Amino acid sequence: MNRLALLLVIVGTAILSAQQTPPPALVTTQEIAEGLPRDGSRWITFGGTYSNQRHSPLTQITPANVKGLVPQWTFQTGTLGNFETTPLVRDNIVYITGPQNTAWALDARTGRQIWRYRRELPTDLTACCGLVNRGFAMLGDRLFMVTLDAHLLAFDMRTGGIVWDATLEQYKNGYASTIAPIVVKDKVIVGAAGGEFGIRGFIDAYDAQTGKRAWRFYTIPGPGEPGNNTWAGDSWKTGGAGVWVTGAYDPDLNLLYYGVGNPGPDYHSESRLGDNLYAASVVALDADTGKIRWHYQFTPHDVHDWDATEVPILADITVAGQPRKVLMFANRNGFYYTIDRTNGRLILAKPFVQTTWAKEIGRDGRPMSEAGHTPDENGEITCPDITGGTNFWPPTFDPSTRTFFVNAREACMTFYAWKPDYKAGERFTGGAGQRFKSTTMPVYGALRAIDPATGERKWEFKYLNPSTAGLLTTASGLIFSGDNDGNLLALDSRNGTLLWRYQMGANLHGTSAVTYMVDGRQHVLVPAGTTLTAWALPQ
Amino acid sequence: MRWRLLSVVAGWCIVAGAWVSAQAPAAKNPLEGDAAAIRSGMGLFRARCADCHGMDAHGVRGPDITQVWANGRTDEGLFSTIKNGIAGTEMPSQPRLFDHETWQLLAYLRTLAASTRAEAPRGNAENGKKIYQANCTSCHTVNGTGGRLGPDLSRIGAARSREVLETRIRGGVEGFLPGFEPVTLTTQSGAPVVGVKKNEDLFSVQVMDTRERIQGYDKATLRQMQDNPRSAMPAFGSNRLSQSDLDDLIRYLQTLRGFDPSVNN
Repeated sequence: MNRLALLLVIVGTAILSAQQTPPPALVTTQEIAEGLPRDGSRWITFGGTYSNQRHSPLTQITPANVKGLVPQWTFQTGTLGNFETTPLVRDNIVYITGPQNTAWALDARTGRQIWRYRRELPTDLTACCGLVNRGFAMLGDRLFMVTLDAHLLAFDMRTGGIVWDATLEQYKNGYASTIAPIVVKDKVIVGAAGGEFGIRGFIDAYDAQTGKRAWRFYTIPGPGEPGNNTWAGDSWKTGGAGVWVTGAYDPDLNLLYYGVGNPGPDYHSESRLGDNLYAASVVALDADTGKIRWHYQFTPHDVHDWDATEVPILADITVAGQPRKVLMFANRNGFYYTIDRTNGRLILAKPFVQTTWAKEIGRDGRPMSEAGHTPDENGEITCPDITGGTNFWPPTFDPSTRTFFVNAREACMTFYAWKPDYKAGERFTGGAGQRFKSTTMPVYGALRAIDPATGERKWEFKYLNPSTAGLLTTASGLIFSGDNDGNLLALDSRNGTLLWRYQMGANLHGTSAVTYMVDGRQHVLVPAGTTLTAWALPQ
Repeated sequence: MRWRLLSVVAGWCIVAGAWVSAQAPAAKNPLEGDAAAIRSGMGLFRARCADCHGMDAHGVRGPDITQVWANGRTDEGLFSTIKNGIAGTEMPSQPRLFDHETWQLLAYLRTLAASTRAEAPRGNAENGKKIYQANCTSCHTVNGTGGRLGPDLSRIGAARSREVLETRIRGGVEGFLPGFEPVTLTTQSGAPVVGVKKNEDLFSVQVMDTRERIQGYDKATLRQMQDNPRSAMPAFGSNRLSQSDLDDLIRYLQTLRGFDPSVNN
């Protein structure tokens, strides 16, 4: 190339660059911390914000016009297994994780693929409950995703290429990871599942730049640490307490809040006498060091597999005339909790579904347990069932009306237990549950709106069958949900009136709709089954 | 050269042998009677099988499986059924169940089967078939012939014990299989649609009516939808069916052990 040609190329490139819209700056921790309230045009962390409110400030789609939504495009994964994820969207690109550690970058305008990733997974995985993944985190020009063989991967956001690959634990020992990470400052926060495989759970922080582990918090204290004496004998070594659902973060207090999974073996009480800390608890950790600041245990000595792996939501609300920094938590055990997130003290707790194992939570914060709800070989009937009053599908919070929304399940179950033997990498549950239908204990679901200052229900929308869909609310007064029969639903968040529906062909199992702007038009993006569909009002 | 070829062939045989041994189940359950295996198998059974087959394996939605060995199934065949499922039925494959877990399951199932006394067959199947054709064919299919309102009975003999069949025919059982719940719809014109529900969500219901027409209905366009508390299957009390005829009918039903396309009813 002669000098003149080179000059022409340089000048041409400069002219072309000048004509193009400059790309936005790389993702910063400041941008993530500001989250949705500041800019609803993108969705850049699991819960929309660190507080996990999933409440979009966008108002183009309203209760009055939501009936006019039309599909813009549908993307099909072409894989076995279903979405159980929250997509991220930034700069008109969708980043989404799929089953069996697949992932894609898609054009948010058209749904067309830009890159695809698929991990070669070992054939002897131990992941208990589906080969799923719950989403990406992002920082700079990188994406972060955990894997079923218990690794954490960093991707180049533009190409899908792997930048680094960190091992959390050995999958052959029962560890797996499905959680959507979050990025706090320069660290990627993750956890490992395996509560049915005799693991010792943990929450980890990795340096986003290098993939080096910065700290680890074991969800089961070791010998000499406070709480270790809540596990009889050596039971702490195989006590489970996995972490597989994303927590919240308060930048002002610099605290992470994570729900911890069930103690193991799941059902057999005598195998692990004691309260079994920090299983079935929420823990508050210093984000810089991973040191525990406080904990609150929802279900001491849980024997019904009631992981506290529901999504915590943070908000500042007025309770009994006092401004409070609260953490809201609808638990698998059937109780809704409002907790002071500065110190872990319980403000209020009330059942949001039928609970037979305890009718109320005492003033000391411990449940007032009813007799006859410890499983044995003959079985005992308890409500809620094993899946619980709710589970990992994200709830949402509308600060303008001070309302917490959750997809609740009404169901009971016969629980059985027997003494199990531990073998590394094998199931270690010591029991089972069997669902039943009866006229006195009907099985159904409901979208419930709860006032977090009182625990009272404001309204409900009943489903024929319990729904496992996550939720999205918008500042225009909409709530997007799904029933278990594949209907995508839009309701008026003030009163629960159904406004619009569409049969997706699959339920929104563990997924939530997210919303963003493309070319001045608000889009609602819905993963369901093996499809991802974008909706908007007509142009 | 010859040695090299031989060694290659020998190596291939070893690899192939290992592959075969890794793939093919043992002909006989290596864990049968093993107390620890039975206990583990009980957990697996209750967690994975009891929902459909019942805690006692006598069948709920899925068939009674206490009689599988008495009906001539082998350990090897049952191993394969558990692993691969049964295509076209609700019996799923279990690709992630380890081999030893499958044997544990079967070791436990053996203990349930052993406690069930196999009754000596009684009744006249030939007469039973006539009774069946006179009373049951209009609603139930066997080997491709018959009505569609009730469940297909082509393999009912392998799926249900004599006791369960008797109770069902006599009308002593409430509850319906999914897809056979009786329902009456009242359309805007006032015309009733009587049939069984094939599917339902909040907004629509899919029905096979008594003329065997399958059709979906928008609930918003219906005047009423009434779930019927009684099964569409009539009760055959002793005034309608003598004990001797019941024995004959059940004897015939017990001969139905799978769809046989060569049978022309």
